[in-house]
Amino acid sequence: MDGLTQAEQRELESRLQKRQVKEFMSVFGNLVDNCFNACVDDFTSKALSGREGGCIARCVTKSMTTQTRLGERFAELNAAMSAEMQKR
Amino acid sequence: MSFLGFGRPQPTSAEKIAAIENELKVVAEMHSRMIKVCTSKCIDKTYREGELSKGEAVCLDRCSAKFFEAHQTISEQLQREGAQRGFGM
Repeated sequence: MDGLTQAEQRELESRLQKRQVKEFMSVFGNLVDNCFNACVDDFTSKALSGREGGCIARCVTKSMTTQTRLGERFAELNAAMSAEMQKR
Repeated sequence: MSFLGFGRPQPTSAEKIAAIENELKVVAEMHSRMIKVCTSKCIDKTYREGELSKGEAVCLDRCSAKFFEAHQTISEQLQREGAQRGFGM
C-alpha cells in the first residue's frame, strides 16, 4: 500500500483517537461488570459494604496489572506472528 | 486509469484509510478477546489480593502464548477443511 498523504494521516489519526475513546469506554464497562460480579453479592443494604469496597479496589488494581502484562505479551506475540507470516 | 487492461485503479483515500483502520480493528478485537479469556482462566475471582501472584502471572504468559497458537492452528485447519466443505473465506 502506498504511503499516506498528510491529510490522510490526519484523518486516520482522528479516526484512531475516536476508536481509542470507544475502546476505553468498553474496557471501563467490562471492568465494572467483572468486579461487580466478582465482589458484590450482599443486598441487605444499598451501600457497598467495607468488604465489597475492598474487594472492588483489589479487583481494579489487579485488572489493570493484568491488562498491562497481557498487553506486553500480546505485542510480542503479534510481532512474532507477523514476522512468521512474512516469511511464508 | 489505464484502458489497456493493466494498472488497477488506485485505492481512494477513503479506501486506504478504511483498510488500515480495519486491520487495526481486527488486531484490537483479538487483544480484547485474549484479555477476557485469559483473565477468566487465570485470575482468582475472589480478589483477596490486589497484586498479581507469581502463579497468576505465569498463567497469563502461558495463556497468551497458547491463545496465539490456537488462533494459528484453527485458522490453518479452517482453511484446509473449510475449503473441502465449501466454507467461503
